[in-house]
Amino acid sequence: MAALPPSSSARARAAARKKRLGRALMAAPLVVLLLAFLVYPVGQLLALSVWGKAGFSLAAYQQLFASPLYFNVMLITLKISFFTTVLSVVGGYPIAYLISVASPERKATLLFWVLLSFWTSFLVRAFAWIVILGRRGVLNHLLTSLGIIDTPADLLYNFGSVLVGMVHALMPLAILTMLAVMENIDRTLPRAASTLGARPGTAFWKIYFPLSLPGVAAAAIMVFVTAIGFFIVPALLGGRRETMITQLIIDQVLQTLNWGFAGAISVLLLLVVLVVFVLYDKLLGLSSMTGTSAPRAATARPQGFGHRIGDAILTLLGDVSDRIIAVFPRGRRDGAKPPRPLVAFVWIVLVLMSLPAVLMIPLSFGSGGLNWPPQGFTLQWYREMLDSPVWAQALTRSLLVGLGTGVLSMLIGTPAAFLLVRGDMRGKGAMLAFVLSPIVVPRMIIAVGLFYMFARIGLVGTALGLVLGHTVVAVPYVVMTMMAVLRNYDTRLDLAAQSLGARPLATLRYVTLPILGAGMMSSFLFAFATSFDELTIALFASGGLNATLPKQFWDEVTLQVSPVIAAVSTCLFVFIAVLIFAADRLRRRSVAS
Amino acid sequence: MTDLPGSGASRRTLLKGAALGAAAVMMPAVWSPSRAAGKRIVVRDDGGIYTKAYGAVFYKPFTEKTGIEVVGVQASAEPTAQIKSMVETKNYTWDMAKISKPAILMLTTGDTLYLEKHGLESDPVIATIPQQYMSPYGVGTNVYTTVLAYRTDAFKGKAAPSSWADFWNVKDFPGRRSVRKHPFDTIEEAIMATGVPTSQVYPCDVDKAFAKLDAIKPYVAVWWTSGALVEQVLASGEVDMIPTWVSRAQAAQAKGAPVEIIWNQGIWGGDHWSILAGTPNADACREFIKFASDPKRMAALTEFFPAGVTQPAAFDYIKPEIAKSCPTYPANIASGLQIDAAYWLKNQAAVIERFNSWILS
Repeated sequence: MAALPPSSSARARAAARKKRLGRALMAAPLVVLLLAFLVYPVGQLLALSVWGKAGFSLAAYQQLFASPLYFNVMLITLKISFFTTVLSVVGGYPIAYLISVASPERKATLLFWVLLSFWTSFLVRAFAWIVILGRRGVLNHLLTSLGIIDTPADLLYNFGSVLVGMVHALMPLAILTMLAVMENIDRTLPRAASTLGARPGTAFWKIYFPLSLPGVAAAAIMVFVTAIGFFIVPALLGGRRETMITQLIIDQVLQTLNWGFAGAISVLLLLVVLVVFVLYDKLLGLSSMTGTSAPRAATARPQGFGHRIGDAILTLLGDVSDRIIAVFPRGRRDGAKPPRPLVAFVWIVLVLMSLPAVLMIPLSFGSGGLNWPPQGFTLQWYREMLDSPVWAQALTRSLLVGLGTGVLSMLIGTPAAFLLVRGDMRGKGAMLAFVLSPIVVPRMIIAVGLFYMFARIGLVGTALGLVLGHTVVAVPYVVMTMMAVLRNYDTRLDLAAQSLGARPLATLRYVTLPILGAGMMSSFLFAFATSFDELTIALFASGGLNATLPKQFWDEVTLQVSPVIAAVSTCLFVFIAVLIFAADRLRRRSVAS
Repeated sequence: MTDLPGSGASRRTLLKGAALGAAAVMMPAVWSPSRAAGKRIVVRDDGGIYTKAYGAVFYKPFTEKTGIEVVGVQASAEPTAQIKSMVETKNYTWDMAKISKPAILMLTTGDTLYLEKHGLESDPVIATIPQQYMSPYGVGTNVYTTVLAYRTDAFKGKAAPSSWADFWNVKDFPGRRSVRKHPFDTIEEAIMATGVPTSQVYPCDVDKAFAKLDAIKPYVAVWWTSGALVEQVLASGEVDMIPTWVSRAQAAQAKGAPVEIIWNQGIWGGDHWSILAGTPNADACREFIKFASDPKRMAALTEFFPAGVTQPAAFDYIKPEIAKSCPTYPANIASGLQIDAAYWLKNQAAVIERFNSWILS
């Protein structure tokens, strides 16, 4: 008997070791990926900001602070990113909500329209906005022919048009992130509130909305850090003042080849994002981002001053919306059907989001270039597209790279998300910042660093190189989405399964994964879409060989803007629609049989 | 860049990581590019119509003649960063590139030379190319010009602008203007607008240029950043006059837009065939450069677009009506200003910073 205690403690130690090992295995792929393909290549370049030919020097930083320029541009960048975030999240929330309550068929349709803009290159989208908002564009044409205005209004090349372009680009990201969380909210809770006498507005604001907040928070931070790194859209749609910090970095990299200074500006950007991240965390109490306080929030709500204010605001919002709802005469329906104004709003936003892609259809048959209104009818652009095999090759390549990226980032990102939410380990905040770093680091810096590294190991121009590069930038989206989902996931379900005798793998297979399906689908789509629309890494890491679709679009407009890009994006539109339709039919047949 | 560390050990680790990644996504081997040295050269060009025209006029005929395959690839506008990386890592994704004079200077000033001396100056084909298009590290093959372009429909029955001074003269030449959101060319334009003759533009009086730019700032409707945007605003009539790369204005004309080009005071620079230092295919590249410098062959490019042919003899084979639209047409060069690449190499960092501050204020 005396031998028992030591052996049981040895067993406990072995178990602890096994747990540590398991944890390490979950985090290892992500850590290795980021160390090898982000930290190492980017670190080399950033180190040049203090380590030049003449040894250690802070000259680059002196230059950075000598002129107010970099500070001012940083402020502009923050301002644009902030408004983009607010609009994307506020506008995207109702859409995500509607999708989450829709029937499976409608869900597929709605998602198709949300994602539609992703299937058109952002370059095409930017051009579409130019065609829509220009002085001789769609909108001005419409307004003048209706007699609403006499002379065309200046809608382009200002702060507003940049916002339009950026919100358009980032709203799908916000929607998908929030959707991943909303899918997992227990629908019986708001219903229970109604049963207990809460009117619909109150039930929504006081029950549903707080439950969806992790999604809102995740969406906001994702959109914000993504927006901060944008440059091509603001460059195409912006005016004199809309300069983003990334543009300055690119100037240094491409034009003056001043790596040291490019590194210094990048460090400034990284620091600012880090500060924003910390502030956000502190102010909005989003320590739930790291998953630690989620269970506590669910059981015992903190009774701080901020919380009471928040509660009061929500009560007020609930009250106001109830009064508004009461104004509208409305047949007694149960809460299953979403209110009509909501549906109307969602469709208006979706139409606006799809407008650029849809606009390409008439332009692709016109002979007058990408100008409004389209003139004549010609199939010339389709012929040109079919004549050169490059478009088909680019599409195949993009699909393959996108699939590879989607699969690889899921495989790498999901375990890490599990660890970050479930595992009780120290340094979660640091780990999370590490995971997010690929979004924050300017894409151009990653691209050049990867190019330098790929050149040495023979990965330039290979699909594998592109998959690795794209996975680096896509994996944060996967981790964040999965974390947001897991935070809402009731772990007691796992415990229940286990207590009923299910082994861990069986629990994962039959309980955890089916529930997480929607979230996993979202994050796969993200990774896929990120890769499908990625240009900068493709520009560099492909060395100009074997173009992906965005690279092919870029090549096409670099020297001449021809409606071939409209023809291609129309074909993509049809291709994706057919694909989704076919998948839907297959799914239904499998359900029926 | 020259002192980026790269040890064999880390390379091996990375290779292992890459192999792991390869296994993970099960990439078929056919995806990786294969090329036999000497049988194929990869040339960076400007893509689009250039790849098309060069393919027909240079690449394919060269392959037929020598058996050496030529692959044209397109990369970012100033591919100096890529060339540096390729030469430093000795991994020649490209063997040669079509690059500008400033890019050549940037790659050959300093301790490391990233380009190979072509040594073809005395070759009979190359020797007839005028000195102004040549560099020890590059053989001139094209000239690009920044010109003033305007919409004829905006100046119907009115005097149209014909110089940078007119572009700045908002009283006599009203209309929507667009200016490049970058100091390159813009500084020169402003200086010429003050009445300075082309021969005295360099070294640029930057204070004078910014003072002149102040005058036009409130009248600029669009600040353009990319050639694609120029073509769009010009073709759609969003702006009435714009300083632009001539190829863009010509592309808008080709689409049927009522656009006129002012060659007077055009700002031109050369594009060159340059060989990456240390490439194993350097000699094949030299053969290609000689092949592509033949006047008659250069002239054939004009069937695709009005190319800036660098062989004066090429004009013997070019139709007169097209010749006038070529950047290197003698009259166009004579009234123009050659970009001083050395000036910009020395001053670009300071001027770009000042321009960026100025535009925000």
